[in-house]
Amino acid sequence: MPLLRPCLHLLTAPLLTGLAVSLFAPSYVIAAEEPVPVTMEVLQERFTTQVQPLLEKYCYDCHGDGMAKGKVALDKYPTVLSIQANRQAWLHIADTVGQRVMPPEKKPQPTDAELATLSHFIGETLDFVDLAAPRDPGRVTIHRLNRTEYNNTIRDLLGVTDFKPADDFPADDTGYGFDNIADVLSMSPLLAEKYLAAAEQVLDKALGNNDPLARKKVRYLGRQLEGRGDGNSDGDLQTNGAMFKRHNFPAEAVYEIRIRAAQDKFGDEDARMALRIDREQVEEFNVAARRGDPRMYIRRVKVPAGEHRVAAAYTNNAVDSKNPDRSKRGDRNLHIDFIEIDGPFDAQAAQQPTTYSNIFFKKPGPGLSDDECAHALIEHFASRAFRRPVSSDELNGLMDLYKVARTEGKEDFEGGVKLALTGVLVSPHFLFRIEHDPVEAGDKPHPVSPYELATRLSYFLWSSMPDDQLLSLAKTGTLSDPKVLDEQTRRMLADPKAAAFVTSFVGQWLEIRNLESHVPDETKYPAYDEALRISMQKEAELFFQTIIKENRSILELLNSDYTFVNERLAKHYGIEGVKGDEFRKVSLEGTHRGGVLTMGGVLTVTAMPTRTSPVKRGKFVLEKLLASAPPPPPADVPALNDKPQAIKAATMRERLEKHRENPNCSVCHMRMDPIGFALENFDAIGKWRDMDESKRPIDAGGKLPEGETLDGAGSLRDVLVGRKDQFVDCLIENLLTYALGRGLEQSDRATVKVIGRQVKEDEYRFGALVSAIVHSEAFGQRRGPHPPEQAASTEAAGR
Amino acid sequence: MSQRHPITRRTMLRGLGVTMALPLLDVMLPARGLAQLAGAAETGAGAAAGGALPVRMAMFFIPNGVNIPHWTPASEGAIAELPPTLASLAKVKDNLTVLSGLALDNAKAKGDGPGDHARSAAAFLTGAHPYKTAGSNIKVGVSVDQVAAQKFAGRTKLPSLELGLDRTQTAGNCDSGYSCAYVSNISWRAADSPMPKEVDPAAVFDRLFGANSEHLSSEARAKRQLFRKSVLDYVNDDAKRLSRSLGASDRRKMDEFSTSVREIERRLEFNRQQEEQIANEAKELGVERPESMPGNMTDHMRLMADMLALSFQMDLTRISTFMVARDGSDRSYGWLGVNEGHHTLSHHGKNPDKIEQIRKIDRYHVEQYAYFLEKLQSIKEGDGTLLDNCMVMMGSGIGDGDRHNHDELPVLLAGKGGGAITPGRHLRYSRDTPLCNLYQSMLGAMGVECDRFGDSTSALKNLKV
Repeated sequence: MPLLRPCLHLLTAPLLTGLAVSLFAPSYVIAAEEPVPVTMEVLQERFTTQVQPLLEKYCYDCHGDGMAKGKVALDKYPTVLSIQANRQAWLHIADTVGQRVMPPEKKPQPTDAELATLSHFIGETLDFVDLAAPRDPGRVTIHRLNRTEYNNTIRDLLGVTDFKPADDFPADDTGYGFDNIADVLSMSPLLAEKYLAAAEQVLDKALGNNDPLARKKVRYLGRQLEGRGDGNSDGDLQTNGAMFKRHNFPAEAVYEIRIRAAQDKFGDEDARMALRIDREQVEEFNVAARRGDPRMYIRRVKVPAGEHRVAAAYTNNAVDSKNPDRSKRGDRNLHIDFIEIDGPFDAQAAQQPTTYSNIFFKKPGPGLSDDECAHALIEHFASRAFRRPVSSDELNGLMDLYKVARTEGKEDFEGGVKLALTGVLVSPHFLFRIEHDPVEAGDKPHPVSPYELATRLSYFLWSSMPDDQLLSLAKTGTLSDPKVLDEQTRRMLADPKAAAFVTSFVGQWLEIRNLESHVPDETKYPAYDEALRISMQKEAELFFQTIIKENRSILELLNSDYTFVNERLAKHYGIEGVKGDEFRKVSLEGTHRGGVLTMGGVLTVTAMPTRTSPVKRGKFVLEKLLASAPPPPPADVPALNDKPQAIKAATMRERLEKHRENPNCSVCHMRMDPIGFALENFDAIGKWRDMDESKRPIDAGGKLPEGETLDGAGSLRDVLVGRKDQFVDCLIENLLTYALGRGLEQSDRATVKVIGRQVKEDEYRFGALVSAIVHSEAFGQRRGPHPPEQAASTEAAGR
Repeated sequence: MSQRHPITRRTMLRGLGVTMALPLLDVMLPARGLAQLAGAAETGAGAAAGGALPVRMAMFFIPNGVNIPHWTPASEGAIAELPPTLASLAKVKDNLTVLSGLALDNAKAKGDGPGDHARSAAAFLTGAHPYKTAGSNIKVGVSVDQVAAQKFAGRTKLPSLELGLDRTQTAGNCDSGYSCAYVSNISWRAADSPMPKEVDPAAVFDRLFGANSEHLSSEARAKRQLFRKSVLDYVNDDAKRLSRSLGASDRRKMDEFSTSVREIERRLEFNRQQEEQIANEAKELGVERPESMPGNMTDHMRLMADMLALSFQMDLTRISTFMVARDGSDRSYGWLGVNEGHHTLSHHGKNPDKIEQIRKIDRYHVEQYAYFLEKLQSIKEGDGTLLDNCMVMMGSGIGDGDRHNHDELPVLLAGKGGGAITPGRHLRYSRDTPLCNLYQSMLGAMGVECDRFGDSTSALKNLKV
């Protein structure tokens, strides 16, 4: 299947390599603004008469006529269509030829004009989109809820706020860089088992016979705590930092907080552990207990009602792995078995749990038999859970469960309803987002049903189920009205639930999520700790939220004069005058920062644990911002020599230059490395530096294959802003992939182009981007199956 | 089916548990219950060995290849001296077979370009060539453990147990255009369905030994089983009806769902009769539910290994896979003084410092393997030890991490497979002998008829003398 990523693009970076002074370069720029009215026929004609003869003359000796050196045979591509279907291969060919890596020196070389003809042709061919042709909206496979979606859906369906059952589910596989891709979200017995158990627990939690003010013990095991351990082992604090959990305190009252903990002893002091509630220190314990023999550390404290962050923080880390006297080496760590919260002890005034009354919104009584009442309650719940009205068949099946519980299980009314609801929560109609093709549509595109549209919207922007307003608009059939759709999109983006969009989409697109598993070497970067990591994450989230909320230009992602910091991050960035944990907007004037690329989080995840990696950073920019990732390296490439002597003897730049002496390597490294070097002033945790670790001045200069010279992050920003259209298309590809939950295909290129135009017309505003996506055919429609006879009836679908 | 004799079988197994303390009971053991136990080993080498004891298989996967010179014994035949990396296996040396020269042809590029780590993991137990895709259409093959598991489904509480230590990385591409599914899974139930691994010891405990710390009366338990069964029946009908209204690719997803639900139903059926006994036995054996994730890799791996040993001992499953880390893992092993990532180091470019670090990691992995083997060897079963009836393989789908080669693979095999293997030797096979030949032999020892598995050409020669 032809994959669109990593490159939709061609006109800019890769193809101009080595041709910076070519006559044709300026014409590309024009072409990018105003697409040349070429047709497939014109291209095919040009291929046969002008291009193929060049390939025959210069390439076929080794890559054609039965020869396939390096497994490359150019005569495999006789048509323009076959070239378009293999765009990655052809982008690489364009690069290799453009940089004159091929043909090899000893062979006859094409003239500059011939080279330009070739590059121009490949550029136009790969960029060709027939906007007039009918668009194929594609098909999305039925889509299992991923872990985030499951948690959020349960939260919205039941109103259970402090329970995330999916955190214990197996990790979701990712495809195309995201974990919401329908095709790769698979099912397994393990997962089915967890779904069943979670359904029972969730309902116990929502309906349980619990008086909210009854004293209750809740224990959060180490692995259930949030915060950073050593990357793989939750509950373990190897560096200063905190493990925490947000706990819902039912009432203002006294609670007893018990932490079972132990230390790895090192040095004169015992490990110290602070108990913090909402970042405020309540107590500091001296943890003398050794690992293997943990002790309970207890404190009673009055807490106001509502959700609060309860944290156990490790504050006096010590490590010495370098002491020449081996016996003096060691590492002090704090290990937290669990945090237990017991209470409330003296709460007043009872309140009815809303989760309960949400489900049991009516009771049987005179004029309403048990069965009738159950029927109404189950229908209401199932319709919300299935995100559409339930059919009477489905309802009958659920009523059967109710009856089993009542008769065979001798349950009361509530117990009966509960079993039916368990069935709902394990039903494929709940666990999967299902879309049906109407029989009459055959294999033609057709609009998705109003309920399906509501579901697509809500999982796109909220990673959760549609709310009542969306469902009622679906019911009246008005949701697909463009005006209504726009209003709803705006409303949804303004809703706090849109935070899920930021963490899921941005967290994966810019790999900020990887901060959770990325652990910089603690001896080299002692400044990096839990507080800094959380601050970095928060900065990226707030920055995006601002662009969304204020409907700002997406180009600010490339270059902005502001960001968000708290004291910890401000210190890291060298910004003065910021006090306290609160985040605030600050001007970046006078700093070297601006845009996502110089955010601490991005700079950290694109580094190695022990050093910066210009290659990784360069690749990140090409792949994530410009959608022109180089192909992966061949397998047998040795890594950089990282011995201390090597680091002393040569700068990173010299070592990398050595590394890419091989012309086959340089094709890609010429593109990646200069970008990464421009960011060398930022160390592996994103802190500014003027010297490298051997105290030599950083050289952030370089030259891109296209000819631009770089000197530091500022110049790189200028180059990126200059390629804004390429960046915008890249963002569209990523966002569309995420919105649809499927990989893009050749046929989606037209959609990307059209969205790009709309975004540009509206001054690159974020709102325009989202609006263009939800109005696109790909989002509002789906195609029937090929071949059409596989289409089946929709009778049972409750459509 | 064992279900016909649940009490006898469980009673017998409780006996097994106690034998560790009371050797006297061991004498009684073969006389009772065993026939039921392994309706299992009615065929195959287990039966040939004279007992009706079941044969178990476990496959440990290590990523990124190893340093072969320190791994391979100096000479073929009886192992005189263990090479440095394998030194920790001294106590189980007589139960160890070192296999050299095996190859995983389908992990090679075959025109698909880079992505050796994804291919190595995907091909490791399937012997199949994964279809290169970062998203849709994942496809490789059914893995050897699942071939066996499908054969024994219904005999044990769990047909198989998939274990691992690290969760899947959830952002970014996994390896050069290959889906994360390939990198993070070695067990495949169907060509397009990986079996995700369990990384949480508490969850493993719950699956093996029944409901966690719940103190339900048997009446309450029976009711819960009834309810669960009813719910799953409903869901199954639902899925069936839904499936009829879907197109082909959707239907495939729904089939995957239905298969999973049926598997849970089967487990429930088992549970209903035996859950309580299993929980009691676990208690008698002194197993406690792990309360938190162990703080370090060693504790984590050993805890998992302990539970795996117990599940073999109690015959809760006979088949397991254990992913020590996903392929391409860049985990650093700080406690060994190895601060760079494993994958980064594996591209050592013959740098002696880096090779030394790799050896440390190799040695460490082998030590954990040795821990598990010693555990199996310490448990009596029939006339010998549990290890006699096991085949515990450890290996990598890459030979040398610096070369990314898929021949000359490091492969260890421990145990006698119920008599199918004569251990204590180093066997060298001619270059490019398929690793799948070993799997064909292992399936044979389990009593699974198999003329060919993956790219096997025959059973592995000379495993038994």
